[in-house]
Amino acid sequence: MVDNVIAVRDIGKAFAGVQALDGITLEIAPGEIHCLAGENGSGKSTLIKVMSGVHAPDTGTIELNGKTFSKLSPIEAISNGVQVIYQDFSVFPNLTVMENLALNAELAAHRTFVSWKRMRAVAEEAIAKINFTIDLDEKVGQLSVAQKQLVAISRALMSDAKLIIMDEPTTALTKREVDALFAIILDLKARGIATLFVSHKLDEVFEISERFTIIRNGKSVITCLPEELDHATFSHHMTGREFDDNHFVPEHVSDEPILETRGLGVNGAFADVDLTLRKGEILGITGLLGSGRTELALSLFGAKPADSGEILINGEAVDVNSVRSAIAHGIGYVPEDRLTEGLFLERSISSNIVISELDSFVSKLGALDQRKADAEGQRWVDELKIATPNPANAVNTLSGGNQQRIVLAKWLATHPKILILNGPTVGVDIGSKHDIHRILRTLASEGLGVIIISDDIPEVIQNCNRVMAMNAGRIVAEIDPRTTTESELAELMSKDPSTVDGKG
Amino acid sequence: MKQRRFAGLAIGLVAVVGLGLAGCSADADTSTASGEDAYTIVIVPKDSTNPWFVRMEEGVNKFAADSGNDVYQKGPAETDATLQVQVIQDLIAQGVDAIGVVPVDPGALETVLKQAMDAGIVVVTHEGASQENTMYDIEAFNNTQYGAFIMDNLAEAMGEEGTYATMVGHVTNASHNEWADGAVARQAEAYPNMTLLAAEPRVESQDDGEVAYQAAKELLKKYPEVTGIVGTSSFDAPGVARAIEELGLTGKVFVSGTGMPAANKSILEKGLVKTLTLWDPADAGYALASLAEQILDGEDIADGVNLGVTGYENMTFAEGSDKVLEGNGWVVIDKDNVDSFGF
Amino acid sequence: MAKLVRKLTKSNEFYLLLVIIAVSIVIQLRSGQFFSANNLVDLANAMVVPGIFAVGAFMVLVAGGIDVSFPALASLSVYATTRVLVDAGYSGGVWLPFLLVIVVGAILGAFNGLFTSRFVVPVLIITLGTASVFSGVMQGVFKSVQIPNLPQGMSDFGRSTLFVATNPESGLTSNMPMAFLILVAVVAVAFVVMRYTTFGRGLYAIGGDESAAARAGFKVRKIKFWLFVIVGIIASLAGLVRTSMMDQMHPTNLLGMELMVIAAVVLGGASITGGTGTLTGTMLGTLLIVIVQNSMILVGIPTFWQGFALGTLILVGTGISAVQLTRSRKRAPALVQG
Repeated sequence: MVDNVIAVRDIGKAFAGVQALDGITLEIAPGEIHCLAGENGSGKSTLIKVMSGVHAPDTGTIELNGKTFSKLSPIEAISNGVQVIYQDFSVFPNLTVMENLALNAELAAHRTFVSWKRMRAVAEEAIAKINFTIDLDEKVGQLSVAQKQLVAISRALMSDAKLIIMDEPTTALTKREVDALFAIILDLKARGIATLFVSHKLDEVFEISERFTIIRNGKSVITCLPEELDHATFSHHMTGREFDDNHFVPEHVSDEPILETRGLGVNGAFADVDLTLRKGEILGITGLLGSGRTELALSLFGAKPADSGEILINGEAVDVNSVRSAIAHGIGYVPEDRLTEGLFLERSISSNIVISELDSFVSKLGALDQRKADAEGQRWVDELKIATPNPANAVNTLSGGNQQRIVLAKWLATHPKILILNGPTVGVDIGSKHDIHRILRTLASEGLGVIIISDDIPEVIQNCNRVMAMNAGRIVAEIDPRTTTESELAELMSKDPSTVDGKG
Repeated sequence: MKQRRFAGLAIGLVAVVGLGLAGCSADADTSTASGEDAYTIVIVPKDSTNPWFVRMEEGVNKFAADSGNDVYQKGPAETDATLQVQVIQDLIAQGVDAIGVVPVDPGALETVLKQAMDAGIVVVTHEGASQENTMYDIEAFNNTQYGAFIMDNLAEAMGEEGTYATMVGHVTNASHNEWADGAVARQAEAYPNMTLLAAEPRVESQDDGEVAYQAAKELLKKYPEVTGIVGTSSFDAPGVARAIEELGLTGKVFVSGTGMPAANKSILEKGLVKTLTLWDPADAGYALASLAEQILDGEDIADGVNLGVTGYENMTFAEGSDKVLEGNGWVVIDKDNVDSFGF
Repeated sequence: MAKLVRKLTKSNEFYLLLVIIAVSIVIQLRSGQFFSANNLVDLANAMVVPGIFAVGAFMVLVAGGIDVSFPALASLSVYATTRVLVDAGYSGGVWLPFLLVIVVGAILGAFNGLFTSRFVVPVLIITLGTASVFSGVMQGVFKSVQIPNLPQGMSDFGRSTLFVATNPESGLTSNMPMAFLILVAVVAVAFVVMRYTTFGRGLYAIGGDESAAARAGFKVRKIKFWLFVIVGIIASLAGLVRTSMMDQMHPTNLLGMELMVIAAVVLGGASITGGTGTLTGTMLGTLLIVIVQNSMILVGIPTFWQGFALGTLILVGTGISAVQLTRSRKRAPALVQG
């Protein structure tokens, strides 16, 4: 590989004795679309910061633009064509698009006075580069996530960038926005501008990446072509653990449905939803943002009572008009955003677990039996392998994956018959994700009916025995995950609803 | 982590500087400590920077020298009832023998003064006739009589005719309002050709010369018939005089009130204000400390008590009160005698 | 044209102007005096000191902080200046007092700047501390007392007028103080700085997102440091103007003004969380409060109710802008729901 845009060799960096990076080497060719993958804490962000001049490495060299540096300053990085688009885009929400685009140039030129005329010209030129049309006088805070990202990209391109580093670029985008982003990246590639994606998910950027570098614990694990990677090997490289990559096949499925809905609807969210769930099954419901999937989940859990249709449990029509009645009917719900919906972050792990069944630890005198409650908390900590030295620690001392397990434990402690999970692994690293999936499979095999609501297509394909696709508030298809590919499912989800007829 | 440590350092530094300063002033205050049997008597003014109370401190210090007791003045940094409460709380904690207070707001001090008395500390007040939790309150004079005296001076300037309004520091300030009431009563009785402005009988200067100035301008614009303003607080007359001068009403509109000679020398000499009345705060400070000492000595406080300074030699209880002692310690300053006071 | 109208109706300043006009009309109807030349001059006069302070408070708010130390800072720098000049028997022009307060103000501002730029502690907390230090130094070190006689130059400056407005009916005269020019100059310079310099845009950027500002290449620490130096100078100018116009140095006269000034700036549309606001809004907000504060007697609001009236105005005024804000937030594309 000659003429790399950037080559970092044997980079080492320690913070307060912790080796964040240990002999990392990474080369990127002009126009290459490279993906840097690694779990949280693997050293990805430290590496980006070394490449963009924020951190000085302890060892190793950075070759950039034909020059070799032992450390970079941010200005050197920028003037040699390295631009970083951070996850938060580093935009100023209170300023206009024009200023967001043009301020950097004014600063780079060390000007004391700014010229609004000059800034407008610069901004117009910047958005023209990627054929991005937007009102330059709009405040950036008013823009959608995708528009903010385009502002950030336009800004990055202004300073004659040769390499654009994008931190988790697709996380908050819809499918259509992701496609638009990829089109821009391919356009940049045609102009010889390289892109480095930083991601911890394989599927997000798989279709566009030309090479992958996976790092773990600050060390390079592998640099390879996409053909050499599948979900299992990717997960293995990321975590160093082996995972079975098989589809879920339920062991015993009851004949009678445990949960049924007939013509269920919530005005303005979804309508005519018929579904059945049997004991031992894991049913997947997938759909894009705004497809009605979250409202359906909330409706099944009584948090958003249905306006039409009925819910049957064990063949009997029941009234699920509040969370309390849902719990009474044996329905548990693991919410999408565990941080805001599910947990009291300041409280202890064990009190979070027992909170939804607190009544059962209250003696006749009305006093709480703390010992019994603690024992129950400890039981679930053991059962779900929650990594904590002490269940009395506050929940916010745990990692995302472990927090998600606590939400699970909290609902399992109510001994539900039906468990609904909304985005169970959002923001969870791969290792924990596999653990959660394994727990869900075990629960199903023990006779629980499980519904996973998720837009993570590989997740539902792999872990559900049936998957229903939602689109514009309706179930548009039910598929067998063993015979359906991810792209087929993705297409069902994102199709213009008017062309989809009924349910499959 | 690093930043947090710096933050701690910053706060620490500010605290050290603050304490250091507090330490300096405390040293200065307590350096007058003397013999074993001496009482510690502390006078708490409204505001330690106001020249009125700076003058009061002279009397307090004179009493310290005369009596040999540990007597000093310690007030809040600005006129603020909450700060004054804190000063008194500190003194209770130090276990002083007596506290003499010039209350910013008597109501706000009731609780803390009760604490002081419960702790066995002698509490006396000055200009706090409405204070309940005090052993005795001394007034340089009867407030109503002083108000009448202010009115006499204003009426003379106004030629005993015209419309007037009154101005107080705050409408919650007891003394200022009693003076104003006394002035109004005096006018009703003695000056039939004068009338109180019915629409706006009492305005506030908030003990602030700028507010007095702005309020006077508004008042004179809105009510052109007003030719006199009864000022009470020491900020009133200078502020109102500034308004009179600017509006071109010199010689047409008059103001009276309380004021210190030096601070008002120029407005008196220019003729913007003909006379100001006052009592010498040094004498009041001396008398307040002297009263505290007599109580500590277990002496009987009765009509005719002598506090050892002119105007306070024959104090009498106010009508219907066994707490409020009144003297007759007022003086008039005008452009002729303004230089003779030395403060 | 339609765009201009839309922009207007979206702007806080527009509503504020409507409120000011409405309040003015009410005062005019009740007193018949509001729109007289000398009343307007009186308001301009009353606006000078709060107006200058507001410019400084506004700049700090834009950068995302709340400075409560400016009255104490101004008191100290003016007290020190006056004390030194009086003790030295200075009788020259006003240029030396100005020079001295600017220097002292800059030094005291630098003290604020040093702390706020180095330490990750909210500006509010730091300036609460420095305000105590400033008034402590004034009272402890300088043993501050009222200074009745100012240096001649300051007195003369305080009395000098641009013009005199006379009310033809009552014959009353009001002086437009020379100091009004200081307000005009401070506002003009601040306007240019905030809009046309990288420093000013940097303040907005820092108030919007401090880490993004650092990544964009703004020297955040340096900008914050100089911000407080400038604010120290602005506040000291206000202090000198007040002292000169009162023709007396009251050490505590300015203390306690900070909340009213900050309320005025927020009323003018600056967000407490930083990044937004305009000088126009700041001046309108200050004007509104000054008008109301100085029209209570004209309108005939009883003394007992004046505090209530002013508080209500601030609540209603800030409430209107809060409602505006939530409405525009709701209109923004919502991507949170799944």
